Amino acid sequence: MPHAGRRPAAIHAHRAPRTGARAKTESAANGSETYAFRLFVAGSEPNSTTARHNLTRLCEQYLPGRHRIDIVDVFESAALALKHHVLVTPTLIVLKPRLGVTLLGNLSETRQVLATLRLNGHGR
Amino acid sequence: MAATAHRARANIATALRSTRRQLAKVRTGIAGLDDVLRGGLPAGRMTLLSGGAGSGKSLIAMQCALHGATIDEPSILVLFEERAGAVRQNVLSLGWDVPALERKKKLFLLDARINPEAVISGDFSIKGLLAVLDRQVKFLGARRIVFDAVDTLLRLYDDPARERQELNGLHEWLLDRQLTAIMTVKADPQEGPSRYSFLDFMADCVIHVDQRVTGQVTTRRLRVVKYRGSGYGRNEYPFIIGDNGINVIPITSGVLEHRAPGARVSSGQAGLDHMLAGGYKRGTGILIVGTAGAGKSTMACMFAEAACGRGERVLYINFEESAESMVDNMQSVGVRLQPSMDTGQLVVQSYLPEATGVEEHLLRALAALDELRPQHLIVDAISACERMGTTHAAFEYLMRVLDGCKQRGITCIYINQAIASDVVSEISGIGISSLIDTVIALRQLPVEGVTKRQLIVMKSRGSNHSDRFHDFRITDGGIEVAQA
Repeated sequence: MPHAGRRPAAIHAHRAPRTGARAKTESAANGSETYAFRLFVAGSEPNSTTARHNLTRLCEQYLPGRHRIDIVDVFESAALALKHHVLVTPTLIVLKPRLGVTLLGNLSETRQVLATLRLNGHGR
Repeated sequence: MAATAHRARANIATALRSTRRQLAKVRTGIAGLDDVLRGGLPAGRMTLLSGGAGSGKSLIAMQCALHGATIDEPSILVLFEERAGAVRQNVLSLGWDVPALERKKKLFLLDARINPEAVISGDFSIKGLLAVLDRQVKFLGARRIVFDAVDTLLRLYDDPARERQELNGLHEWLLDRQLTAIMTVKADPQEGPSRYSFLDFMADCVIHVDQRVTGQVTTRRLRVVKYRGSGYGRNEYPFIIGDNGINVIPITSGVLEHRAPGARVSSGQAGLDHMLAGGYKRGTGILIVGTAGAGKSTMACMFAEAACGRGERVLYINFEESAESMVDNMQSVGVRLQPSMDTGQLVVQSYLPEATGVEEHLLRALAALDELRPQHLIVDAISACERMGTTHAAFEYLMRVLDGCKQRGITCIYINQAIASDVVSEISGIGISSLIDTVIALRQLPVEGVTKRQLIVMKSRGSNHSDRFHDFRITDGGIEVAQA
């Protein structure tokens, strides 16, 4: 449901334009920004498979058409893992938007994941 | 008959010994610790270092890694708590050039700090870390690895069973690659059985490190709690963090490995030489005891002056006064020390006994002996050593310094200030008398309004010494013993 929280434009005509992170988050919530994820996995290890599955499902449900998932296998790209400071797997790094958020684990705690990604309460 | 049987038993014992395989060990490079561990840490196995904050466990682990890097056993340092930059800076002050070792690919520091803002949502494992490490192990050909503050990693896991599982995985990974691993864990012994006591079971060698305050002085101790497949020193060993890293106070070996006494050397005073049937024997322990003002320091300084005159070196550890003050006072009785100090033959080190713990005093003394390599050592006065902490501490210091001298063939003169006027009875209370070969007692007697000075050789091993009190005077030319 787009623009679910917005009032008719006329009432807000005199308001100063919203700026900063809050604006970005809101616009993301309102569907204008693409989420870019980098998920570090350890081959076909169970937690990693679960994380891939969870992330894909989550993106299809809450970010349809505006998500990008980059899967990095630490067994193959150890250098990249080192660069991103990845120690445990799976690790999910959110590249865009710049929430400065890192998630550890197989992402099975859906509500927590959504809250961390600032996706809660919007859409089903 | 008995001899043949004995020989047969000895042969069997030797045969058994040769089939027994010795556990391979790697040296830590930490002075004294390799002795406690009877050679070093178990090669290709896990060692656990546990202790409270600031106990020194991280430094011990790091020094092992750094030593490995310098002896062509490339090492990896996985830092869960400290920043790699901070570590490089800290060990620089100890004389270790970490960046140079990193450039030569002998050392790799991994900043493994977990992002404190990371959100945990679901199960995870350390496979990622192991993958990263695998690459580095292969790249360096690493033989040693340190996990510093592994409890930081373990705390991420809520479930102890999961923790154990992960660590088992890590242990297998280490064993497969035959890496000698050292893990440090923060554990406060006061807290009782810690959450990480299962690590004690997993590790092949466990060392507890501890810092405590006794009598207002801080001491650090370590104790090997367990060492599978090897003997080890079972006591608590004090250690200090010195100028170049950790120093575990060397153990006095159970065997008396002292050099035989050497040739006679002049005491610096002709009359005394006569009483001693020639002088002191090199490499022996001499005790000069007397009340305040009896002339003990003067006697010792005359010895030093004479020794330096012969081209020898003397180390004078002074707990009573500064070098300047000492030189000045001796000047007034005709003992000239300044020339010897100028040439560097006489080195005077003045300390306040209560300034540091006995371990540091001991280490300084032994380090000075090794660095300066004097022929003789004088300690003025041993009675001041009690101020280092406790009577036991003083005894430790004196016993080990004297032992150290005898092992190196250095003549050691201890000056003891007696309280009672009857100096003779003071000797037995010291407790180091078995290591002392010569005892000279000085006393002052008031006779007819004048103080009469006398000295007697109470003991002199292997010498036919005089056994009577001899009068002496302190003049402008030092001590003059009256001819008997």
